Order: sequence, then structure tokens, then C-alpha cells
Amino acid sequence: MSLVGDRRVSPGFSRNRPHGNVAVLRVAVVVLFLVLGARLVQMQLVDGAEYAERSELNRIIVESVSPTRGVIFDRKGQPLVQNSGSFAAVVTPSFLPENPADRYRLYLYLEDLLGVPALQIEEAVNAAEARGQRDLPLAIARALERDVALMLEQVAADLPGVALSIEPRRVYPGGPEFSHILGYVGAQSPDEWRVNQEDGYAFNEVVGKVGVEARYESELRGTPGRAVTEVDAQGDLITTIESSDPEGGRSLLLSIDSDLQRYVYELLSTTMGEATTAAAVVMSPVTGEIYAIVSVPTYDNNIFSLPDPGEEYQRLLDDPRIPLLHQALSPVAPGSTFKIITAAAALQEGNVTPSTRREINSSVLEFIGEDGQPYYFYDWRVHGDIDLVGAISWSSNIYFYMASCGIPQEGIAGLGANTEQSAVVLGYYARSFGLGQVTGLDIASTESPGVIPSPEWKRRVRSGSLFNPEDRDWYLADTCFMGIGQGDVTATPLQIAVATAAIANGGSLLQPYVARQILSPDGAVVSTTQPSPEPVPVDEQHLAVIREGMRQSVIDGAARLAALPGVTVAGKTGTAEFIDPEDGVTKERAWFTGFAPYDNPQVVVTVFYDLGVGGVKAAPVAADIIGYFLEYVEP
Amino acid sequence: MNRFGVEGTLRAWDRFDVILVVTALALVGYGLVLIYSGSLGSYDGPVASIDNPVVRQGLFAFIAIGVMFLISRLDYHVLLHYAWWLYGAAILLLLVLIPIGQTEFGSTRWFALGPIQFQPSEFAKIATVLLLARFLSEQGGDARDLRVLGGSIAITAPVLLLVFVQPDLGTSIIFAAIWLGMVVVAGIQRRHLLVFAAIFLALLPFLWTFTVADYQIERISVLLDAEEDPLDAGYNPIQSQIAVGSGQLFGKGLTNGEQTQLDFLKVKTKDFIFSVLGEELGFVGAMALFALFILLLMRGIRAAQIAGDIPGQLVAAGVVIMILMQAFINIAVNLSIFPVTGLPLPFVSQGGSSLVTLFIGIGIVQSIVMRHRAYRQF
Repeated sequence: MSLVGDRRVSPGFSRNRPHGNVAVLRVAVVVLFLVLGARLVQMQLVDGAEYAERSELNRIIVESVSPTRGVIFDRKGQPLVQNSGSFAAVVTPSFLPENPADRYRLYLYLEDLLGVPALQIEEAVNAAEARGQRDLPLAIARALERDVALMLEQVAADLPGVALSIEPRRVYPGGPEFSHILGYVGAQSPDEWRVNQEDGYAFNEVVGKVGVEARYESELRGTPGRAVTEVDAQGDLITTIESSDPEGGRSLLLSIDSDLQRYVYELLSTTMGEATTAAAVVMSPVTGEIYAIVSVPTYDNNIFSLPDPGEEYQRLLDDPRIPLLHQALSPVAPGSTFKIITAAAALQEGNVTPSTRREINSSVLEFIGEDGQPYYFYDWRVHGDIDLVGAISWSSNIYFYMASCGIPQEGIAGLGANTEQSAVVLGYYARSFGLGQVTGLDIASTESPGVIPSPEWKRRVRSGSLFNPEDRDWYLADTCFMGIGQGDVTATPLQIAVATAAIANGGSLLQPYVARQILSPDGAVVSTTQPSPEPVPVDEQHLAVIREGMRQSVIDGAARLAALPGVTVAGKTGTAEFIDPEDGVTKERAWFTGFAPYDNPQVVVTVFYDLGVGGVKAAPVAADIIGYFLEYVEP
Repeated sequence: MNRFGVEGTLRAWDRFDVILVVTALALVGYGLVLIYSGSLGSYDGPVASIDNPVVRQGLFAFIAIGVMFLISRLDYHVLLHYAWWLYGAAILLLLVLIPIGQTEFGSTRWFALGPIQFQPSEFAKIATVLLLARFLSEQGGDARDLRVLGGSIAITAPVLLLVFVQPDLGTSIIFAAIWLGMVVVAGIQRRHLLVFAAIFLALLPFLWTFTVADYQIERISVLLDAEEDPLDAGYNPIQSQIAVGSGQLFGKGLTNGEQTQLDFLKVKTKDFIFSVLGEELGFVGAMALFALFILLLMRGIRAAQIAGDIPGQLVAAGVVIMILMQAFINIAVNLSIFPVTGLPLPFVSQGGSSLVTLFIGIGIVQSIVMRHRAYRQF
């Protein structure tokens, strides 16, 4: 050892170096690790089997106790959802017999009692164990009949790991016309649960899937309680160690008037005619709150709490009309209803004034295109000599072609210096009125932004091998068609309603909403939604011209059928042409958007049918809705 | 700065203790594997992310190794020269911590420096070892004199108390152990040692009553009967006992421990990482860990033995005691033979401050080993 050598080399200094004491450190290391080693031998080798068993039976279980979910009321306080209970058979995998044969016998017994195939139970249990959820009760049959439930309760005492549980269930008494607003709750998928776990969700807890139920999940859910219990190997309770009560969820008071919603739904359903889908929005031009928002066809949201919605659900998925889709949030060509936006743009840009008159003596406008060929743009009638109010009132296509794209060879100016610029300017105004973007209505649904085209947009979406290079160019016709809400323009009925409201209220773009108030479980108001208006970049004097045009349209114009006795209605029809991809035939979509009363707008109504003529089909229905609203609904 | 010239430096690197560093890195690697298993339930982000505890610890290990090489290049006498300053800075940091530190689990031990937490008590350990070594060696490396002993207590007591009030009972015990170990190496007389032991035992009831916080008493009493309070103070001891015990000879296999993966174990990448090891890798895995620790500590003791001078010997001894006691207490807590104190397992537990401090210690030991011939007085 070098130690000896060192000492010999430097005896003088080494005397002062207490080497003997360094050896104490070696002893300390060995002794301390021997102590630890001895304890390990005792724990792992001597008592190891006992601890292994305890680890197997580690049965301090922390369960969360579901809170009562908040209720959803309409504006008059009518409940649109009820909480009720339903019986479920649950198994806790870790308490099931260890022996596979015993287990399977138990599954077979459950198959007899519940009618759930033993193989299916086995699969579910195995999946839960694979997820590491051996200690979580797993529902194997839901919504049990009362007598089955009672029988299960009787026998569960003798079946290890099997229990009867009462699960909270949402019942929607309002009927299918509320499904699109309310949505429904359902079990979490494993992926959803991975995210929700962070917020303390139990795996078998339900969450709002769509609609208000999903959008206001965090308010409606409440705070779960906690129960810490010690149980024996059979899962029977030994002691409750700790428990805290759940706190109920908050309730919602919607701005929806359930009677109006039902009325509008029935009105649309009975006036469908050849149409397959329809939508209507009734909203306040003052606050932005939605009084009714209807989509036809709809679905029954109660099916999602059935034990097996499979068959019914499949039918919904197979229906070509897509009942799960909210029609009021789905974009289609807005047709002539878009002219109110073109008018606003032209007035603000100054290329059209209220006194700009056009002599329109033909129903065909002939253009010499960029390629020198003549192009023909059609109108639905010969309008004669009209001004802007007349053009809105009679919905003149040619007037609005001129207002948007202009006629270069006749020296009529469009919105911008050239075709492309005109389209960009019009797009700017359309976006200012809320088109081309989601409104953010507080219904968690697939709201679509629609399309406000632009030359840049066209270059982008028409790229790829499916298109020819010239398909990407922006033509005069693109701007012209855009000006009358055709071509590539699409908008949702809700967007059109919001734009109409901005014209009606003198220039405030409102955020639409359905939840007026959030209430605590004891009914106190927690928060009230405040209107959040954004000004549109159009002067009030110009909007007044458009309102006048809309009033004239109802008094003596294309929207005459929207007239009501005793109240001045203002409105704009729309009949958007489209080529049915099924049969290649040109068909029409029916639109009407309007407000009333003209002097003091209280309500905006937008009605849409996927087939029909706006002035004939949508306008009278809108009048009925306005009439009903003014008579029965408290704004 | 280098008083040996180029040739001296080159020869010094020849003496660099490779075994010591490799053993320390083996412990860090062992730790990474256990952190991976222990964080499976809580981390499911991308593998290559700074938020991944394994990646984080790996990065800290790189930093720590860099620091170690820098320190080992530095003559440890430079550190001894500044020992009073370092000690003063440590005291200052501990004082500043009182109003502004980060409180976690009811205890204020951390500074938050952006995303990184800095624990001043880690730094204070090194500073205290250096100052005690300097002080004792200035007194001839001899703790037989009662005045010298008194001085060493005066150096240790302030840091010990400042850490104790955080409250961090575990680390204050480490300070006491560092002091005890270093005065023993410096040759404390047996009768003095006996007197100190007697005084300590006499004071114990008072300490118990007046200075040990309630939760500490609770932790000590659950040690005697963990089942007394199975959810709160008794929870961790019970769960760690079950984890370790159920591991038996070969363990349940990495990532297969029910106690670990089903979250019965808490702080399982830090204070209770040994329980993860015990459960998943069993007695065999624990013995492998012990072997690494014993090898590392023995290399440290070798450094103390061949050190060129008294301060070098004392510093090396101090570092060895620091690592030994921390490892012992941490594992003892996991085995329920010591009350729960939040001490990490050196080199193995997740935690950057601790890792960097430990490698600073290793760097100083290397500096002593590399220069032991240069300072040998012929």
C-alpha cells in the first residue's frame, strides 16, 4: 500500500496527519451500508412475500364523488334539462376472482342476468386492466330496468367485484328542437380522459360532448367530492377515512325562448316543401343574444344516454341531410342577402350614392371580357330606371354588378381601381360585417367560417394538379358574382343575421350568444353576459339608406310577403342559384333576412331553406316569426 | 495561476481519479433509468423535451461534469483561500432566502432563478466543508484542543440553524455529521466526544419540545407505528415499505412496480427514488447501488488518505461524509428506519442543484488527488 511508502518518505509531516482517523471513515461506510443491507434483507428477503401480498391488496381507494351537474334554463326559467338517475351494473376488476375459470363463470352469470354477452364483459375488463384501471368500477351495463337492478342488488353481495351503481343521467325534456343548442353529455374517450385527468376527472365521469353542454362544461360540472376508503380484498368497505361533499355545478340561463324555439322549429318543419334542410336565427340587434336558433332536420339528444345508441346513431350518420350538423352554422351562398353588404361598401367607398341611378332596360348585361368575347350576366327581371333604394328593394343584380365590379368600357367605376382591387375592397367590408370568420357563438359545435373569396384566395385554393393555370386567375365575373353573393361567397345564416343586426342597430357588430347568465347552485347570479359591440367601418347615414331599401323591399319590392299589419318590417330576400352536383340542374336556395320594427329594431330574423325562392318561401315565414316574437317574447 | 508550470499540470491529469468519476456517472445513469420509470405516470410529453425529467437530469449531469472538470483544474488551495468569503456568501444566501425563497411542501429551501431552482443549503455544505478544513488545518489540523473544537462548532452552528429553521431537518443533520466527521478525522479526543454525546442526549428532550416542528414529531412517531395515520404522515412510510418489501429478490421489473406506477408512492423521482429501485429491481438492484456507493466513497477516502496536506485531507473527508450521510439518511427513510426528511439520494435523485453540488465536491476531491505529490512536504 502506498500509505506505508508515504509515511516513510515524509515522516516529519505525516505525524501530524492523523491517518488512523481516516480509517474511521472506512468503518463508517461499511457499518452504515451494513445497517441498510440488513434492513433490506429483512424487508425484501425475509418479509418480502408478505409485503408483496400487501402491495397486491393495497386497498386505500380514493374515489371522486360526482357533483350534480348544473341545470340549463331558457330565458323564462323553463328547465331544458333534468338530472335523473339510472341504474348501472359495475365491476371492479381487482375484486373479481383471480382464477380465470371462476371469473368466466361470473361473467356467464351476469350474461344471464343483464343480457350482456360474457365475452363482451371479459373484453371490457381486460381493456380496463390493460389501462391500469384495476381499481376503478367499470360500467358493463347501463340504464338497467328497475327489476333487473333490484335483482342485481340482491345477488351482488355474493358476487365479488360486482355492484349496482346509480349513475347520473341527463334528460332533455324540451324535445329534439333543442338538441342543436344543448348538445349532450357522454363518456370520455381514453384520449379525452388523458387531457381531462389534469382537471381531476374520473375516467367514468361524463363530459359535455357538443352544444352548450360542452361549451360550458367547466361551469356545469361542479367540483367533485372525495371519498377515501379502506376496503378489503373483496372490495367491501372497512372504514371511510376521509370524505368531502361534492359541490354542484353552476346553472345556465339561456337567452333562448323555448316557446319561440319550438314555434320556429314547427313553422320551418311544416313549410319545407321541396327543401330538405332549413335554418332560422332570431336574435337581438341590441345585445346580440339569440332568441331562437333552429336547424332542420334535428336529432334527439336523449338517445346518447341510452344504453346503446348505436342503431339510432347510425341512422343519423347515414341520413344524407346530416341531422347532426347545425344548419344555421353551416355556410352556403348567401345570394342577394349579401347585397346589403355590397351596398354598404359602395356607399362608404363613394362609387355609388343614394342618388346614383341606373337605366336597366334589359335583363341581360353584356360585357366584353378580358379575352374580347362577350359575356352575359342575367337579372331576374327588367328593373328600368332605379336608384340604390330601388335596387335593394327589387334586388337588382345588374345594379349591384355595376356597384361592385363596375363596367370599365362604359366608364362605370367599381369599388376599386380594377377588378382585383374591387374584390379585395368588397372582401374587407364583408369581413367587417362578420363574414368569412366564425361568429364564436357559445355553442360548441362545428361552426364554419364560410368563404369570402379574394384573388389571393383563388390562387391558393385552385392550385394543384386538378386545376388549369387559368382557373387561378381572378376575372371580372368573379368580382361581379361576389357583389350579388354568388360565385365563391358563402355565409352561414347566423353570419347573415349578425350582419343584418349591424345594419339594423346603426353599425355595431355584435357577438351573438345563447348563455345570458351563469347561476350558482342556489340560484344567485354569478355572471351576466355583457354585449360586446364592435363598430363596422360604415357611416350611419349610409346604413340608413340600406335600411330604407330594406323597408321599401317589404312595402313594395321583392320581400312583399314579409309584410305584417301594424308593424313596419324591413328585409332583404335572397335566391341563391347553385348547380346540384347530383343531377347537374340549376336550383335555388331561399333566404330572407330582416328586422322589425323599422324605427326601433328589436329583433332580427334570418330564414334559410336549401331549396326555394327567397321572396316566396322564406319571407312569409320570417313575417310569422316576427309576428310571434313581437306578440309573445319579452326582449 | 498555476504554480507548477505546464509539465506539472500534465502530470497532475495523469493522477486524475477516473474510477471515482466513472462510479459517480454510473450512479447518475442508474438514476436516469429510475427517473424514467418513476415519471411515466406524470410525464407523457415528447421524449426530446426539456420538460422530460430524464432529459432535464441528463442536461444537468452534463453541466455538472463540466463544472467538475473546471474545479479539478483549479488548485483547491484557491478555494481554501476564499473559504471565509464562500462561507459568508452561503450565510447571506440562507438569510436572504427567509423572506424571498420559494415555499414548497411547507418548507422554504429554494430560490427560483427563472426555470431553474437553486438551493442555497447545497452550496452551504461545500462552503462549510472548505471553511472547517481551513480552520482546523490552521490550528495544526488538530481538534484535540477544546478551543479549536469550539471554533469549529462556531463555524457549523450558524449554517446548521439557518437550514434548520427553513425547516429542513435532514440537511441540518448533514451539517452536524460533516462537523462530527471532520473533527474525528482531525483527531478529537475520545473524552471530548463522550462529553458532546452526553450534552446532546441531555438536550434532546428540550430540542424535542421547543425546536422540532409538530410535523417532524409526527413523522418520528409514525416511524414507530406507521399504521397510526395511514393517509397523512404515515402514508409515505407505509407505501415505501410496501414498495421496497414487495420487490423481493429480483424486483418486479423496471416500469412494472404497482406501487410506483399506480402512484401509491409520492415524490418518486426524488426523495423516494430508492423505493422505486427496491420495488422494480429488488434486492439485487439495491445491492448494485450499494456497491457503486461503497466504491465511490472508498475512492473518496483514498483521496483523503493520499492528500498532500492536512486541509486537502480534511476537505476530502468532508465531501465523503456529506455524500455518505446523505445516501444513508435517504435510504434509511425509504426503509422506514429514519423519519421522513426531504433529502435526495446523491447522484441518483432528480434535482439539478444537488447534482451540481455533488460534482463540485467530486471536482475538489480530484483537485486534491491530482496535486497530492505537489503538496507533499519533503
